[in-house]
Amino acid sequence: MLRSLIYYRRLHLAVALGAAVTTAVLTGALLVGDSVRGSLRDLSLERLGKIDFAILSEHLFRQNLAEEIAQQPSLQSHFGNPVAALLLNGSVTHGASQARAVGVNVNGVDRKFFALFEEDSASAHARSLTRKSGQPFAPVMINESLRRELQAQAGDQILLSFKNYSDIPRASVMGRKQAEDLTETVRLTITRILPDRGVGRFGLRTQQYLPFNAFVALPVLQRALRRPDEINALLVPAAHDSSARFEQQLQQALQKSLRLEDAGLRVQQFENYFSLTSRGLILKPALVELAHEIADSLQLAAQNLLTYLANTMRREARTVPYSTITALQTPVPSAFGELDLVNGAPAPALAEDEILLNDWAAKDLAVEVGDTIALSYYVVGEREQLRTQHHTFRVNGVVQMKSLAADWRLAPPIPGVDEMENMQDWQPPFPVDLSAIRPQDEKYWDEHRATPKAFISENAGRSLWRSRFGDLNAMRFAAASPPELSAACRAFETALQQRLTPQEAGFTLSPVRAQSLKASAGATDFGGLFIGFSLFLIVSAVLLAGMLFRLGVEQRAKEIGILLATGYALRAVRRRFVQEGLLVAGIGVALGSIAAAGYAAVMITALRTWWIDAVGTSFLFLHVSAQSLLIGAALSLVIITAAIILTIRQLRKIPATALLHGVTARDRQAPPRFAKMIGGVALALSLALIALAIRPGAQAPAGIFFGSGALLLLAGLAFFSAWMRQRRTTHRLQNVLHMAGRNTARQSGRSLLSTTLVSCACFMIVAVGANRREAGTETEKRDSGAGGFMLMAETDTPLSQDLNSPAGRAELGFAEEDSLLFQQTEIFPFRMLPGEDASCLNLYKPQKPRVLGITPESRKRNGFHFQAAVENNLENPWQLLERELEPNVIPAIGDYNSVQWILHLGLGQDLEIQNERGEAIQLRFVGLLQSSIFQSEILISEENFLKHFPGPSGYAYFLFDTPADSAVRVAQAGERVLSLYGFDAVATADKLAKFQAVENTYLSVFAVLGGLGLLLGTLGLGLILARNVMERRGELATLRAFGFQQSTLAKMLLAENGWLIFSGLLIGTIAALLAVAPHVFSQNAQVPWLLLGGILLLVGMVGLLASAAALSFSFRVPLLPALKAE
Amino acid sequence: MQKSNSTRLSLHQIHKHFGVAPRIVEVLREISFEIASGQSLALVGPSGSGKSTLLHLIGTLDQPSSGQIEIGGQNPFTLSEPELARFRNAQIGFVFQDHHLLPQYSVLENVLIPALAQRNHSTGNEERARELLQRVGLAPRLDHFPYELSGGERQRVALARALIQQPGILLCDEPTGNLDRATAQTVVDLLFELHREQRNILIIVTHSMELAGRCERRFELREGKCCAV
Repeated sequence: MLRSLIYYRRLHLAVALGAAVTTAVLTGALLVGDSVRGSLRDLSLERLGKIDFAILSEHLFRQNLAEEIAQQPSLQSHFGNPVAALLLNGSVTHGASQARAVGVNVNGVDRKFFALFEEDSASAHARSLTRKSGQPFAPVMINESLRRELQAQAGDQILLSFKNYSDIPRASVMGRKQAEDLTETVRLTITRILPDRGVGRFGLRTQQYLPFNAFVALPVLQRALRRPDEINALLVPAAHDSSARFEQQLQQALQKSLRLEDAGLRVQQFENYFSLTSRGLILKPALVELAHEIADSLQLAAQNLLTYLANTMRREARTVPYSTITALQTPVPSAFGELDLVNGAPAPALAEDEILLNDWAAKDLAVEVGDTIALSYYVVGEREQLRTQHHTFRVNGVVQMKSLAADWRLAPPIPGVDEMENMQDWQPPFPVDLSAIRPQDEKYWDEHRATPKAFISENAGRSLWRSRFGDLNAMRFAAASPPELSAACRAFETALQQRLTPQEAGFTLSPVRAQSLKASAGATDFGGLFIGFSLFLIVSAVLLAGMLFRLGVEQRAKEIGILLATGYALRAVRRRFVQEGLLVAGIGVALGSIAAAGYAAVMITALRTWWIDAVGTSFLFLHVSAQSLLIGAALSLVIITAAIILTIRQLRKIPATALLHGVTARDRQAPPRFAKMIGGVALALSLALIALAIRPGAQAPAGIFFGSGALLLLAGLAFFSAWMRQRRTTHRLQNVLHMAGRNTARQSGRSLLSTTLVSCACFMIVAVGANRREAGTETEKRDSGAGGFMLMAETDTPLSQDLNSPAGRAELGFAEEDSLLFQQTEIFPFRMLPGEDASCLNLYKPQKPRVLGITPESRKRNGFHFQAAVENNLENPWQLLERELEPNVIPAIGDYNSVQWILHLGLGQDLEIQNERGEAIQLRFVGLLQSSIFQSEILISEENFLKHFPGPSGYAYFLFDTPADSAVRVAQAGERVLSLYGFDAVATADKLAKFQAVENTYLSVFAVLGGLGLLLGTLGLGLILARNVMERRGELATLRAFGFQQSTLAKMLLAENGWLIFSGLLIGTIAALLAVAPHVFSQNAQVPWLLLGGILLLVGMVGLLASAAALSFSFRVPLLPALKAE
Repeated sequence: MQKSNSTRLSLHQIHKHFGVAPRIVEVLREISFEIASGQSLALVGPSGSGKSTLLHLIGTLDQPSSGQIEIGGQNPFTLSEPELARFRNAQIGFVFQDHHLLPQYSVLENVLIPALAQRNHSTGNEERARELLQRVGLAPRLDHFPYELSGGERQRVALARALIQQPGILLCDEPTGNLDRATAQTVVDLLFELHREQRNILIIVTHSMELAGRCERRFELREGKCCAV
């Protein structure tokens, strides 16, 4: 074998090179996958430092909780000390230039935080955040990305705006919704610019993009929020590599350390009862349920209370303004005090339409039992706007102002009201008409403060004043006997503290490191993607290796014939050749494995530079894993071996006598009838499909055209095959070019194979490459990817104001001239649950995608183009979001690209996420949009959004239906006026272009790698030519003997190969152009004609050059011996 | 139809060796002879004696190591490759033991191939090809392909092809080597008939003494030397 290897070293070297190319491309593609995953992993580790878990809360909690958790013994061996932080989102405006950046991570931190990244520089960083004497403003450190965005430098001043915290939900009546209450702004001085690595990259969100980071001393932010010693995040470092496994311990430690005040709850003991209240003024239903369970277990009496503010109580012309009314269980259990009528009798049970007035109100309104009074009060209506509602009650009785009826604690402490001396001084979170306040009201306020003036049944209160946050604002509990009250109160408090889970208390424990590493697997398997992109390259390399091997075998056909003739079994001969082939392939694979790293490095460099639109980060580095090297090598070896075995197996069809004459192939010339028939049928079908596609109202013409193009390709190849087999007796040979054309038919199977290879590759490259499109040219159309919206915007701080109304805009600070701009604009707000980008722009696999709640108005407007829906032919598929599905299954709509390729789900499939209560809910895709602006998020109805995510108030995502000519001015006005809220508007066309750029880049990668494959395939064609020349030595020698010049023969052979190549290019291109005709003629097509033309031209040129090289090599072999008998 | 042939072929002290020192194999030595139009010559000798090599030298497919060959008073080896190809196309016709017909072309096209070599194709060539094929008895088979012909028919096509350019010299290398006796006889009869008609120089390499016997002159090659028999 060694002798053979040495003797046929050139051929073997060529086979080894073919194997090496296969391995390099295949393994290289796997290494690209490794590199993307590895780089994302590195990125995750870098941006998280030592952080393993994050304990986050929607509300602020005690900073001391960090130390208390650290003292839990179960924690100490697995985790480091939790680090307290205030992590906010905000926007920054440069003091001098007014340059602004939105989506900024505003991090309130201390030295311990920096130690999570680099212990050495932690103190220096902390010092940079310490305000020096003489410094007018507190210091801030920003990262390089933010500096670049602001064009700022150390020493500059910036204005940092971020969402204000409110314990009371903004979307409740008592919540502060006024524009001035939504944000806080602080002026800071930049003291240091941090590089975009290490702590400069910090961020809990899994994304590959560089974040904008601003670091401020924790107390500075706390002061700005007027919430000293309160934080919203605890960052827990790992003590060892396997800390992630101890999530349960961390959860327990958190639960043990939590106090009720960390959940915003308060248990207070009074004379004959104790109460449970919330800083948010509303008790969540789950908490109410839990409190009842505990009360039952402690055998406590419980009273639910809901005290609400009536704007007016009216009877005929008499009106009492601004009265509190308490809904409670009637008759009132005696343990909670008496509610006695003026006649001394206890107040009876109230029906839902009955009311009790205290004697002050009854006198003021001059009502008697049985009279009807009307109540007006605020409720939160659509788009979180306060709406006045009215309800009438029949007066059931008048109660004495004593005991429970005189209990001012029944009214919750309304900020801006409770602390005021006079009613005229009220600054409540809702509109009040202070002119309506009379002297007797002030007197009542002086004497009784907010003591309720009326009582209704608990059921009536709950049904009138229920909000999505809950329907009670206090609970009172009483012990069986008063002496036991203190013990009962303590027992209740302890039990509640123990049983209240961190989730119920509003905390989320996120294994951020584990999640991030899991997400590093990536939404897209770049290994698979690059194998797909390189498929032609791999196939070409395998064909090349197989062909080279076959060439070697053919050169040794006589040797095989002799071995067979001298008694060797065919199997033994085959084994010998396979062994030789394996050895050669093995060497090639080993070489290819080394080259694979180089190939991957080139691809990674390309992804970092030319193809950066596909990945959006230059933080990609080569990662080589032994696993991929082994898999790639094994796969390549299997493929090459299969090619070799197939080649050798073909020998069994050749008789030994033929082999002795060097004959290794038998071409059977089938008559062209069959090929013509296939061609005819394919052409007819292709034309029929075109007719189908261009008929009015045709569905999915793009798909039909693609099918038509594919059929045309088949027809073209079939006719080409028939043409080659045609007995050309009618057209005489006129010159060598005619001869060349006829010569291609000599080995028609081989020629057809060559042309098929070129045409198929060409078809794919052109058909795929031509699909490049320029996004966003038809955004004004309602059925486009932009849904007819010209602009989209997001805010860091959700807004409740109605941007469509002049009043709402005025409240947000729009001047009249700006406001006028909006007259022709309709704005559609969406609720937003922050999460990860679910689009192709995010390389990480989204664990918790961003969710938008779409309002009924937006759904009714219809728009966008649905690629698929669970129910077809619906006039408005958005209505599918209103469907009632199984419990905890919510209908959802996503973009087809994101759902299919990033979430790896499809129509009718479920995405599991957790709702605000920590329960698993399924988002079921009932519709998929086609190439829309909603690629980063999942859409559900606003109603379902509020049901499962009642917490987030306001709207943070907006779509603008605005005339194209005013879109820019609207965006500019919005960004200028709403900069405090982090308003950032982009043209929907730009957003779509960003998504399209990823797709277009992938298409470019495919075109380039496909082109490389085609080039390699063309080299294979050169080899076919060389093989043909070897086989046709006798023919060529005869032609020379008859006076053909060598150059004439070369021309003839080149023409033969050129004919095959250009026929393939022509057939493939025409078929591909037909396949993509609807796209090519669409407005937004951005066909890279130059690139595609260049690739095809290059392929043609390289094919001819390879042929010329093959000829030059072949003509070195003397032809004369071939004239002797073969 | 016939052009007048007055070609003279002369070989003077032809030597031909292969390989390089010290492994030189001398195939032909001191070969000299002359032959004029209308004459026929048979080259006989054992296998490996250099018959085909000599035929290739005369056919200008190979160059002698030393000595001079003149065809019609011209040393063809002084010509450039294109001139030599043109010269060969005009002056020399070949018939090989294996007919070397091109399978992708019809009978008529195979005969026409030499006419295509020098871009001088004309309808006259086609007429001549038809006449030649009629002459060799293949007029009904013009549009047939080589694989549809018998061995004798193929060799007759090869003969027609060799004569299409009306060469001054017709070189035949074992023209009946692959044919049975009866077919061989037919082909040989035809060969000599056309030779007489066209008055070209006919040189046949053969092992068949019967065929050699029909030639006017016979040379035997032994140990590289040529002697008349």
